[in-house]
Amino acid sequence: MSLGNPVTGGAERCTLCSEPPVIRLLLPDRHLCAAHLIADVEERAAQTIHERELIKPHDRIAVAFSGGKDSTALIVILSRLLPAWEDVSLVAITVDEGIVGYRDDTIRAAEEVTKKLRIEHVCVSFKDIISDDLDTLLIGRETQACSVCGILRRKALSVSAHKAGATKVATGHNLDDEAQSVLMNTLRGDLPRLVRTSDADSHDCFIPRIKPLAGISEKEIAAYLFVQDMFPFLPECPYTRHALRLEVRTMLSAMEQKHPGTMHNLIKSKRAIEKYVDWRAISEPIRRCRECGDPCSGELCQVCMLRKSLGK
Amino acid sequence: MKIILPNTTINIMQEDPVCITSILDKLHINPSEVIVSRNGKLVPEDTLIGGDDEIRIIRIAHGG
Repeated sequence: MSLGNPVTGGAERCTLCSEPPVIRLLLPDRHLCAAHLIADVEERAAQTIHERELIKPHDRIAVAFSGGKDSTALIVILSRLLPAWEDVSLVAITVDEGIVGYRDDTIRAAEEVTKKLRIEHVCVSFKDIISDDLDTLLIGRETQACSVCGILRRKALSVSAHKAGATKVATGHNLDDEAQSVLMNTLRGDLPRLVRTSDADSHDCFIPRIKPLAGISEKEIAAYLFVQDMFPFLPECPYTRHALRLEVRTMLSAMEQKHPGTMHNLIKSKRAIEKYVDWRAISEPIRRCRECGDPCSGELCQVCMLRKSLGK
Repeated sequence: MKIILPNTTINIMQEDPVCITSILDKLHINPSEVIVSRNGKLVPEDTLIGGDDEIRIIRIAHGG
């Protein structure tokens, strides 16, 4: 147990040693010093990978690496766990959407990290995919920023991962992201998306996606990087204010603060529902896009639909 | 005591000793959305602060 501060109830020592604490975690209630926080985060990521069999021998992992905190933590953790796996390699993929005043800084940060960790780094831009940057594509349709960006980012990542010979794509989605997605899909009434399994959830046509940080909160990730002088102080995406996710994030973090465990419970509900729902029975069968031949659920893939709506 | 807010504006507060949680409450900042450093070192929000402490509140939730 932590030693309580007589005035505030706070702890003066780590629950596991005599060092000063850097974070208080609930469920179970404990205070951790920097070294124990780092060990705790890395052990839990390794446990997620092991329990869900996310990485297998000879995998080549494409890390979706924006240079932001979540993907930075992901690439640091994977690079440290790498020696434990047989013949597994990493390649970092950064997507440059073309957002003035935002992406240049994060790309620079991504380059510094991959250089330091000696990880192969590939950069792909929206201009390579759709001949324009996001800022130009969004003129007059700023409120659609996140959906347009998401479609093109997935495409850019998929194309680059294929080119790099990847067998898995790892993303830095954390516990908060996962809980937000459960709530957003529920609010939208999108059952197929709600029950689609999180790990390696793709059809044979796609490179499976893995989320090793799905059990770790955003706050733990930020603290994990801060205590190692790796927290990236970067600007916020200027389009975030248009996102439904922002509203859900604010609501959910307030709920988590008031009722600790809310986010875990949302994920638990999703997993319980997954057990009883046959995903294939409620989803459209995978077809091929009649324009580009990519796998999709309708006649056209989302990228080709977007191209048409943008007149591209 | 100097408080550096997420938008980098600086607040000087005289009251001490005080718990970081109380400061965040007063500023209407949800502790789940920030990490807090005291004199450059990360500290839990139930830490007691005061005197010449320099407190930095760092927002962690970012889009993209």
